[in-house]
Amino acid sequence: MTERTVTVVPEAGLHARPASQFVQTANEYDCDIEVGAADGDLVDARSMLAVTSLGVGHDEEVRLVAEGDDEEAALDALETVLSTPEGEE
Amino acid sequence: MTERTLGGIGATPLSAVGSVVWYRPDDAIDLPEPPASETVDPSAERERFEEARERAHDELETERERAAERVGSDEAAVFEAHSQFLDDPQIEDGVENGIEGGLPAEHAVREGFASGIEQFEGMEGRMAERADDLRDVRDRLVRLLTGAERLDLSALPDGSVVVAERLTPSDTAQLDPDSVAGFVTATGGRTSHAAIFARSLALPAVVGVGDELLEIEDGTTVVVDGEAGDVVVEPSEETRERAAETDRAEVRHEPVTTADGRGIEVAANVGQPVEVEGAIERGADGVGLYRTEFLFLDREDPPGEEEQYETYREALAAFPEGRVVVRTLDIGGDKPIPYLDLSEEENPFLGERGIRRSLGPDEELFETQLRALIRAAGETEGDLAIMFPLVATIEEFEAGRERVEEVISELESAGEPVERPEVGTMIETPATAFLAPDLAARADFLSVGTNDLTQYVMAADRGNERVADLHDPCQPPVVRALRQVVEATEGTDTWVGMCGEMAGDPALTELLVGLGFDELSMSAVTLPEVKARIESVDTSEAEGLAERVLDASTKDEVRELLPRDNEEPNQ
Repeated sequence: MTERTVTVVPEAGLHARPASQFVQTANEYDCDIEVGAADGDLVDARSMLAVTSLGVGHDEEVRLVAEGDDEEAALDALETVLSTPEGEE
Repeated sequence: MTERTLGGIGATPLSAVGSVVWYRPDDAIDLPEPPASETVDPSAERERFEEARERAHDELETERERAAERVGSDEAAVFEAHSQFLDDPQIEDGVENGIEGGLPAEHAVREGFASGIEQFEGMEGRMAERADDLRDVRDRLVRLLTGAERLDLSALPDGSVVVAERLTPSDTAQLDPDSVAGFVTATGGRTSHAAIFARSLALPAVVGVGDELLEIEDGTTVVVDGEAGDVVVEPSEETRERAAETDRAEVRHEPVTTADGRGIEVAANVGQPVEVEGAIERGADGVGLYRTEFLFLDREDPPGEEEQYETYREALAAFPEGRVVVRTLDIGGDKPIPYLDLSEEENPFLGERGIRRSLGPDEELFETQLRALIRAAGETEGDLAIMFPLVATIEEFEAGRERVEEVISELESAGEPVERPEVGTMIETPATAFLAPDLAARADFLSVGTNDLTQYVMAADRGNERVADLHDPCQPPVVRALRQVVEATEGTDTWVGMCGEMAGDPALTELLVGLGFDELSMSAVTLPEVKARIESVDTSEAEGLAERVLDASTKDEVRELLPRDNEEPNQ
């Protein structure tokens, strides 16, 4: 199991397009991935519904937890999504 | 038959005549009671659900492409979110549970979406809008599962006026502006998705008509008067003709001059980035009023410098040979913004708003905005002009300009490319009309906001229908204030423009040319008509008209002197 904490860079936070991209990226990997506020409960990173409901804003920290063969690669990719300002992808 | 009028909110100042086509997408979800569970085969239902989901993906992709083409990729992004809701594991689990429990797929879909919709409904702001997205996705699946006919909005007969309770993003993206004459919705306001869409496509539209709309029958002839915000049912011949005559001018993509060769800049007012494209299509020379409020409203945190920078850069890049006049944040006690400490005021329009907040409690926001603007200007070809709202004193203007200078020095020391913007002010308080000579000596430009100027000169609330007669830019005190402002700029390098509704009224074009304005900025929809008017105006005759109007003592006398709506000036 791999875990890391990442600061959300897109101005919109995990809403709209950034959330869409996040979920899309999570779906490209086979491992189980969960996401949540740094001190909160974790939800399924493949669920647009769950990810948007977290209501994570710009500059807030999220915790990513992955378990499976490609867990490192998955977290690298998700970290990139979360660290790229909107419009620069 | 006599005509009757239903009142709503005009989304575009365009009108059209057409025949009502009712759009009732919700009909598809009136499901009958589900059959007894033992008669339902879960594996067959699972298969039906999968098929419907696949077709829904295909539909969404087609609609996304169409929306990207017509209204830009930002608006199209909503379809990507819809696609992901369609595959959401949480929803899928809900649907699977329903099917497992013996429900047909369409009933299971409704169950599967229910908790998600409920979850978002309980939240605020843009989260609540996600509930609409979920309903949209749910209804699409149910329609595909039940085989319910959906009116194909992309293939309506010419002259159709689409009437609906509400139009979702996916609905509006399907409307073909070549055949649809306009649309009317029962719900929605000026900034609703449907209204924004209407403006970006220059479609006549009235929104927020209310329940009265539900009584209109299919096939009824209506006039959609987006200017007045009215829907006229069973219009008389005369009403029809008047409506049919708007918006006929040919689009001119080049700057225009008067018949005797005086150049007048004709620019567009923009309230949302999606409107930029419509402005270019309709021949705008630049943007005369770029409102920045959209960046700050309907969100939980203020927009950061990068987000603003990207947005401004796009606007400036859209007019490589033109100028974009950006108005700094203009908010006050009349709109709630969760992250700003906006206290309720007894008279918000006379309270702490516009530049008063930018030099006070919102100083940091103001500086961030200026940095984003000046950086964007340094990286694009278009020329930036920065305009302050609700200035009432010279000190305010000077303080605003100093902030601009400070930001420029900071960026220069940091080695960023900087292009010095023009700095000017709105003229919307009587105070600035009186101070016009002093401001003209200090500012690069003045731009009259006639809606607010009229409100403050006439002491008549612009939103109060009972004083609508007073709130008229043709009131002599307003016209005289305009002349005083223009006069103050004569013989200086300061240019003078107008960015209020008055600038977009073709019946007033000759008067405004005669008063001496250098620039007129308006909603994109009236650009072609105003450009056409300018080309037929003779400056000295227009000046004669302006003099006669300035001598008039009453609004009626002013109106009497103006060229008739459907006449070319000087004939």
